[in-house]
This record gives sequence, C-alpha cells and structure tokens, in this order.
Amino acid sequence: MAKLKISGVSKAYGATVALSRGDLELEAGEVHVLIGSNGSGKSTLCKIVAGSVKPDAGEVLLDGKPVTVSGPQAAKALGIGIFYQELSLAARRTVEENICLPDLPMRGPFVDRRALSEKAARYIALFDGVTGGGFAADATVDVLRADQRQLVEIMKALATEAPVLIFDEPTSALDRAQVDRFFEILRRLKAEGRAMVFISHRMDEIFAIGDSVTVLRDGRTVGTSRIADTTPAEVVRLMVGEEQAQAAPAAAAETVKTDGAGPVGLAVSALAGPGFAGVSFAVRQGEILGFGGLHGQGQSSVLRALFGALPLAAGAVTLKGGAYRPHSPRAAIRAGLAYVSGDRGRDGVIQGRPILENVTPIHFLRNRLTLARPGPLRDKATPAVEALHTRFAGFSHPIGSLSGGNQQKIVIARWLIDRPDVLLLDDPTKGIDLSAKADLFALVRKLAAEGMAIVLYSSEDAELLANSDRILVFNGGRVTRELAGADRTRFNLYEAAYEAA
Amino acid sequence: MNAVLDLLKRPLVVALALILLLLVVGELLSPGFASPTQIMRLLIVAALLGIVAAGQNLVILGGREGIDLSVGGVVSLSAIIAGNLMNGQDAGIPLAIIGCIATGALFGLANGLGVTLLRIPPLVMTLGMLGVLQGLLVVIRQGIPSGRAAPGLSQFVTQPFLFGLPGIIWLWVAIGVLLALLLSRTVYGHRVYAIGSNEQAARMAGVPVAAVRVSLFVLSGVFAAIAGICLLGYSGSSFANVGEQYMLPSIIAVVFGGTSLAGGKGGYTGTMAGAMMLTVLTAILTTVNIDESGRQMIFGATLLALMLFYGRGRAMRA
Repeated sequence: MAKLKISGVSKAYGATVALSRGDLELEAGEVHVLIGSNGSGKSTLCKIVAGSVKPDAGEVLLDGKPVTVSGPQAAKALGIGIFYQELSLAARRTVEENICLPDLPMRGPFVDRRALSEKAARYIALFDGVTGGGFAADATVDVLRADQRQLVEIMKALATEAPVLIFDEPTSALDRAQVDRFFEILRRLKAEGRAMVFISHRMDEIFAIGDSVTVLRDGRTVGTSRIADTTPAEVVRLMVGEEQAQAAPAAAAETVKTDGAGPVGLAVSALAGPGFAGVSFAVRQGEILGFGGLHGQGQSSVLRALFGALPLAAGAVTLKGGAYRPHSPRAAIRAGLAYVSGDRGRDGVIQGRPILENVTPIHFLRNRLTLARPGPLRDKATPAVEALHTRFAGFSHPIGSLSGGNQQKIVIARWLIDRPDVLLLDDPTKGIDLSAKADLFALVRKLAAEGMAIVLYSSEDAELLANSDRILVFNGGRVTRELAGADRTRFNLYEAAYEAA
Repeated sequence: MNAVLDLLKRPLVVALALILLLLVVGELLSPGFASPTQIMRLLIVAALLGIVAAGQNLVILGGREGIDLSVGGVVSLSAIIAGNLMNGQDAGIPLAIIGCIATGALFGLANGLGVTLLRIPPLVMTLGMLGVLQGLLVVIRQGIPSGRAAPGLSQFVTQPFLFGLPGIIWLWVAIGVLLALLLSRTVYGHRVYAIGSNEQAARMAGVPVAAVRVSLFVLSGVFAAIAGICLLGYSGSSFANVGEQYMLPSIIAVVFGGTSLAGGKGGYTGTMAGAMMLTVLTAILTTVNIDESGRQMIFGATLLALMLFYGRGRAMRA
C-alpha cells in the first residue's frame, strides 16, 4: 500500500487551469522524483499536499485513509513536512531558532532555550564540514549566503521528523559537496522508511537519488516509472509529449526569417551580474533572439541589467556599434533601448492614471518635452495604440478600466511613438489572453521585419519556438546551448534546460 | 437620483456643500458670521492655510508616504526672517521675499535629500526637521527682535486690491491656476503622478524619480515660506511658532480635498476647498468658545475620521 496516494486532483484559478489531473503514488522508503516544465502543475500539486492550496476535485489518501489537508497546521499534524522553494525563513532570527520554528520546545509557557539548542545542533551536525564559513547555530539568517540559507531550510524540514517529506527544488543553490551530503542523508532516511518527494530540474541529480519518477505535462500526470527502467531522454520525451518532440513547428519556419543578414544591433560579451555570468551574444537588426530555459536562470536579470535596472558586475555592451554602459533605465531609453516587463503591475502600469499618461512617458523623455498638451499627444498616441488593436473607450479613461491584455498593450504602445533600436521583451505575455498574445507577436514580428533588434524571453516554450530566429538556453545563469534553424525543437530546448548546469 | 449620488462621491462637491452648510450654521449661531467682511476675513485666513497646503499637497501626491511635517516650522522661520529683513520698510520687501524663499527652499532641499539619498521615511525626516526648526526659532528669538511687517505687505494681505479682494486672495487663485496647469498640462505634473502611483513603473519609464521627489519637498518649503511672509503681513509682527498651527490643518485640507495619502491621486482644487472648509470650521469653533486645545482635538479627530472614511471606500471597491 502506498504511503501517500494522490488521485485525480485538480485546481483552477478562475479560467486558468493549474492542474487538471494530478496523480502521484508515494511509497514508504523511496525518493520519488516529480518533474515537469514551467507551469506543468508541480508546485500546485505540492501545495495541495502541503495544505496551502485546496483542490477542486480528487482525493488524497494517507496510509490508505482519505484525508483532507485543510492547512499547513493540518499537514504538520498528519506528518507531512515540506521544504519550500521560496525561502520561508525569519531573516533576523538565528539558525537554531529557524530550524525549530515549526515545533518549538517549550517549558511551561516559555521556550526552552537549552532544548532548542540541543535539538537544532543535531540537525546542524548532519551537515558538519560542508556548511562553509560564517555558519553558526547562533548566526542570524540574514548574514548567511544563499546556499547556507538553503541548508537551514533543509534542516528545518528534516527537524519536523515527518514520515512524508516534500522537497521543492532543495538543491538549486547548493554546491557539489553539499548536494552529496544531502543525498547521503536522504538515503539514510530512505532506509528508515520515510517517503520523500523530490523536485529538481537537474537530470543528473534525479538519476542519482531517485527511485521512481512521475512526469507532469500541461497540468496532468503523464507517466510514472522506476528510475532503473528509464533514461534521461525518455523522461524528456515524456515531458515534451510525442507529437511535439520532432522538428520545429511548421509555423515557426514560415513566420520567422532565418537569414539574419542585418548589421548587429546589440552585442554583449562576458556579461555578469546578479544571477548570471559569462553571458555573450549578438542580436542583428531584424532578428528575434529568444532566451529559453527554466524560470529564473538569469534570463530576466540579463534583460533588466541591459536596461539599467540591475547593476552589471562585468562585461561589455555594444549598441549599434558604439560602446554602451547601462546606468539607469533613463539612460537606456535615451540610448535607444526598450524594455517590456511581464510583471506589468510592478514595472509597467501607472495605476489610477489615464490611458494617455500611460502611453506618453517615453515620448516625453526622448523628445525632452516639458509641456503635455493632450491634443497633439493624442495624435501621437493613436497610431501606437492602434498598431496593437487595443480596445479602449477613450484616452482619458483610467488604465485600470482595461483588461490585463489591453493594459499590457498600452504599456507596449509607449515604445511605439518613438521607435527604439533594440527591444527587450521580458516574458511579455505573462497572464494575458490569447488574442492579445497573437496581436503582440504579430507586432513583434512586424517590428523585426522593419529592422528592430529584438530579444525575447518567454516562459512559454511554444511562444518562444514560434517566434525566435535563434534561441539561447539559459541554465544556472549561463548560456549553455544555442539552438538555431532546425535545431529549434521542444526536445532540444528541454534537454538543454534540464541537463546539469 | 444616481446623478446626485455620483456628485456626492466627488470630494470637491462634498467640500463645497459642507462649506455652505457651515456658513449657514455659523450665521445661525452668531448673526453676522457670514457677513461680507467676515467672509473676506475668512478667505484671507483660508488663503494662508491654502498656500501651506499647496506644498503639502505636492509632497503627498509624490507618494512613498510623502508628508511634510516641517511646514509649520518653515512658516514661523520665514515670518521672522521677513520681519527682520523688511523691518517696517517697503524697500525691504524684495530682499525679504528672496531671503525667505531661499530659506524655505533650503530646508525643503534638506528634507528631499534626506528622503531620497538617505532613504529616511518622510514622516521621520520632516519631524526631525521640525525639531531642528523649533530649536533654531528659540535661539533666534533670544538674539533678534521679532521685526515688523512693511506697510505694503500688510496692505497686500488685508486691504482690497482688485474687485474688492486683497492681493493675497489673487495670489492664492494664481497659485491654484498654476498648480492645476502644472499637474495636468506639463510633463513634470505627469511625472509627479507617476512616481506617486507606481514608483517602480515610473523609473522603468525613464522618470528621474529622486529628482522629482526632491523638487516636491523644495516646493513645499517654498510655499511654506511664502505663507510665512503673508502671515507676517496679516498679523503685523511675528512671534515664535506662529506657524505651528499649520501642520495638522495643511494635511487635513489635502486629505479632505480628495488627495490620497498613498500618493498619485488627487489635485489642488480640492485642497483649496478643504482649506476653506477648515477655516470656516475653525471660525465656528471659536464662535462657540472652544479654545485652541479643543480645536486641535477636533482637527485630529477629523483627520482620523477622514482616513476611516476613505479607507473604507477603498476596502469596499476592492
């Protein structure tokens, strides 16, 4: 009998289906790997088990008995411990306090400090020798490095001593020695009969520690097999799906021109900054260069750094043949760069203000205007907004009256009054409807055809494959593969994204 | 009916209706309250408050918890400087104006730099600056006489100038028109709203966020200094902490006029109505013999009630 059995669970957020049919069978004494591409539903599945998300349908069986995990407290009571991918540590508290936080040892109404120290010391000792300099039981978490924080997070999960442990990408910041030690611990726990779910994007790790693997694709479980009976290529094929595993989509070949004969618009070499290093590439005028790979591998940071919104540590940038140093978004805009963020609520929309004011700021800056006369501005803004088939009642209406897709169109339209030389698209279609996406990519291809150099990062692989002339795959903050021409397949993209960085 | 409801949702309309209501109440309580001369006097007092509130309004529009608690201190200091520089002589007026505006700008600049470069929250920064100003005023009072207003200045503030209204009313109207144009018809105005509404998006759209924010604090200092000069003209001579009474009312006038304390929403027209409303309210409270401490309590309670009212409105929309 399975320790934990999840069958047919689903979860939708409004019209977005995050998980349509999630199945998972976890045995006692095994490490069960869960794998799937961005948005395949892994995290949702984990959150359902953890009790932080309530499923719309389906059932969860623990030791053969149906249970309702109504919240994190209930999960704890049922014996389910979770390592969170988003760090959940209290930054100003010490390592030992964080480790014991889910279950503080008490003496009467007070925390038993000595018992707390002793308990924490047991878990810290597990990683003795690999924790690195500056790591101590009484150090506050905010002074630790990213890998050390991740170790604390692991210790915290282990300290729950739960029979079922879920690790959501526990190794992303760890070095080799730390991963090895962690795997030793997992093997010991396995021998004790604990059941563990392990999410990782590193194929080598999956095959090193896993006993079985379950693959999710587009919100459903598409297969489970013993690790011993499968191969990395087989796993990637399951993730991709049979029909899309072969050659580049036909649409891409037709709509994307691949000659790339224009002069170089933007060239960068050995770029390094927060979360990326050694990034070099060149985009020609008229070319759409795609950035692919898993979420958060440095794609977005590279684009933001080029736009002057993040500091660059090293590297050289050439813009239209001249040296360019991104100091601030303001300087970048003046130099002819444009940046569209997928997080329009944070980076794009000026909420509560009229649509016109949301279209014009770039025009003001690039023409050094001081007066804002509505009449002439409307004349300037109209063609820009119409180029995207934006639906809106009038320029004086607040931007909040528009749908998400139309808001993003307005944000993009601000770059169309005075054309930039280089357009940086940072997952621009996140959370917008299909027709808006189609309008947006039609425009992007038109802009490229007119000679703009475009860099496109998209977390949706289909979009990326259909619209890029070339794709750079990011893995661990570096470009690990370049896919061009017939190599631009979903299979190659996944293979490069999931291989060891 | 719906049209009436819509009107009631507009803070400006509510404020104007309240002003009329308060005038009627005042007249009933004390006949002669709403006589032309009294209304003129109320307008002058409202103009003084309104000019201080103009700067307060700009700082609050700029967002990131923008607020200027030092305005009262700047008003007091400006009145003393003006009194000493003109010392009862019309010839000293230009120098007094220049000196006061420069002083106000300087303190505003210090506030702005503290808020942007040192990232000190505006509340703390301007409160600290108020402390500095109050100490400075004590020191100044010990060594320097208070000074007197020039006759020309007193005339500007209290005597009819055009269409029976004194110059200060026209100055206030001019400030109102200029600020309305500045906020709606200039790139600077759009940038003020942009940083108040979404600072990160404004930065990504090339707005020089820090420079705009510093300029708002500078303008607040300048408006407080202008109000200080006018206050000297109104009272004839300055005394310590004459400006103290302006801190809380300047914030209430802005909030009452429909400007959001969260920034990015509102304008000066409403604030002008708010300043008039508060002035009439103060006069009524004085009429019914409620003293300064009682008025302060009522002002404080009014601000909290307004926050509750607008806060609820936001919660209900969400």
